[in-house]
Amino acid sequence: MKPVNFDYARPKDVAGVISLIGDESRVVKILAGGQSLGPMLNMRLVQPDLVVDITGIEELRQVEDRADEVGIGGCVTHSDIEDLRVADVTRGALPKVAAGIAYRAVRNRGTIGGSITHADPSADWISILSAIGATVTLRGPDGVRSLAVEDYMLGALEADLRLGELLVSVNVPKLGPAARWGYYKSCRKTGEFAHAIGAFLIDPDRDVCRAVFGATESKPLVVSEAGDLIGRTGERDLAQGFDSRRADELIRDNGMNDPIDRQIHVAALRRALEQSGTV
Amino acid sequence: MVQITINDRQVSGECEPRTHLADFLREAENLTGTHLGCEHGVCGACTVLVDGVPTRSCITFAHACEGARVTTIEGLDEDEIAAELRTALSKEHGLQCGYCTPGMVVSARDIVLRMEAPSEHDIRVALSGNLCRCTGYVGIVRAVQSVIEARRARGIAAVPGGGRDRLGPAGSGHAGAVQENKRERAAPAEAAAATRAAQVSRDDNWRPQTTLEDSFTVSHPPEVVWDFFGRVEEVAACLPGASLQGAAEDGHVEGQIKVKVGPISAEFQGVADITRDETAKAGTIDGAGKDKRSNSATRGRIRYVVREGDRPGETLVELSIGYTLSGVLAQFSRSGLVQDVAGRLIAVFVQNLEARLNHEAGGGTKETAPESAALDAGSLMSSVVIGQIKQFFARLLGRR
Repeated sequence: MKPVNFDYARPKDVAGVISLIGDESRVVKILAGGQSLGPMLNMRLVQPDLVVDITGIEELRQVEDRADEVGIGGCVTHSDIEDLRVADVTRGALPKVAAGIAYRAVRNRGTIGGSITHADPSADWISILSAIGATVTLRGPDGVRSLAVEDYMLGALEADLRLGELLVSVNVPKLGPAARWGYYKSCRKTGEFAHAIGAFLIDPDRDVCRAVFGATESKPLVVSEAGDLIGRTGERDLAQGFDSRRADELIRDNGMNDPIDRQIHVAALRRALEQSGTV
Repeated sequence: MVQITINDRQVSGECEPRTHLADFLREAENLTGTHLGCEHGVCGACTVLVDGVPTRSCITFAHACEGARVTTIEGLDEDEIAAELRTALSKEHGLQCGYCTPGMVVSARDIVLRMEAPSEHDIRVALSGNLCRCTGYVGIVRAVQSVIEARRARGIAAVPGGGRDRLGPAGSGHAGAVQENKRERAAPAEAAAATRAAQVSRDDNWRPQTTLEDSFTVSHPPEVVWDFFGRVEEVAACLPGASLQGAAEDGHVEGQIKVKVGPISAEFQGVADITRDETAKAGTIDGAGKDKRSNSATRGRIRYVVREGDRPGETLVELSIGYTLSGVLAQFSRSGLVQDVAGRLIAVFVQNLEARLNHEAGGGTKETAPESAALDAGSLMSSVVIGQIKQFFARLLGRR
């Protein structure tokens, strides 16, 4: 259970990282909090020649308050969000979800950028950030580009990173005062990876209504115009308007064949809706 | 050289970049109170305080904690909360063998410090990252609860966030940049030296651990596709990452396949036996292989049937993929992830297959066949995924 003997670098800025990770002749891995990469290194599932630690970069440990969103640096941790060291603009959604990720000792090092780049389908950030409508900013040798979180994840453990690119920030929109959200994950044991995730957001002021089926074994299924599916915006009890048959059809059409699996996913979304009734 | 403040003492020591904090504490500093259980971040036995907050020392590298403040169980002798916890744990019989206790005390101390008035359930959830196999947790939870109640009764309030006031991973951000040390590297052992896997044993009792079903449609007639599947070298050329060693003889081939899934990459060396049933238009590929890097082995059986597609001139290929994975990779494997990867592999395979068949239909020879696409090409991947998204929205809007 010891990693292979790799080289280590800790650049002081993003440019320093880009110059190291663009080298195709060897296996280079970016290390942030290391809470997913660490176990994989210990088990020698990953055997890099060089590990580039990005946690020394001040820019990635900062939060930028913009007009209608906040830019959260890639190395901000789950605990930073849980403890409100990062000001919340999501009416409690991100702090609540952060508090349910793995265990406190993991949250103290695990990072938001690392989690979505690792692209484990069962992880929490990918689902809730897709529901909220967050974007990521990537920087590489050819400049900067932005993607919706759900487009950044290509499939299980695969993020849309070009050679030499890294995630620098996760941009979270500021939700309106009437926004409601829900998040439910089905786990057999606290802190383990979820078997199913349901997440949704209704933000009438910004005319946004999104639903997400997460933990699908691939990228989350995002319904970006979910008004009919999850119940009308004006209703207090959203779960009443939930069209579970339609939800079931939706995920079946997207390749979820196992009926039990579908039922757990539909139930997860319903519970997410029920939860918002009391918000 | 790494410098860390351990239990209020400045320590500097040599260690490799791969040395995790727990090994550094135990091996270099002889602080063996920090225990190693699972060594992959699940059991919590190695939990220590880094910059005052609990951290898994088995998945935190010592070099990543340069300049940080680390407190181990040995450093909590004089700590007020830890002292109260020790008393409560003995009173409530909160330990038996003691293996989990150092990590348990560190996590429990954090709960006492941070949470104002947690219920029993809250405490259990907060302690769920620390496994104890002796006590059943009842005594531990009671001990934590009693310490919290006593402290709150004495007017000592919780400290939200445990007093942490900076952003980023615990232990990070204290030290400057580190240049790569450009270590001398032994030349990688060449795959050619790999011992060849033995003939696939014809063990009829072998049953795959996992079986997944899939199918795909090719826009060429069944007899063309069936014929193509008989040409093993060309089929292998369509499979991303696969290559053969020598020609196929009597349906027996040797070769390798490289699979890259996110950070994991494996290269399976192995053998396969192929049988084909002309009348049923069905084939079986029995294979076995070994990945030298991770020392993982796999055994698999792919069955395929070639049928008429829904539209004339199209072929439906039905697949049944059964496999058993053993070794390191098996520890990580979740069947759903394998299914997603298999689905992506098949998508690229079909794309390459179509390209070759189109090339042939246009009169091209196999020598001039188009270059096969690889699995981990980002642009290709996104085109597959974008296709799925478009399909999804088409369906969504089509209904109602």
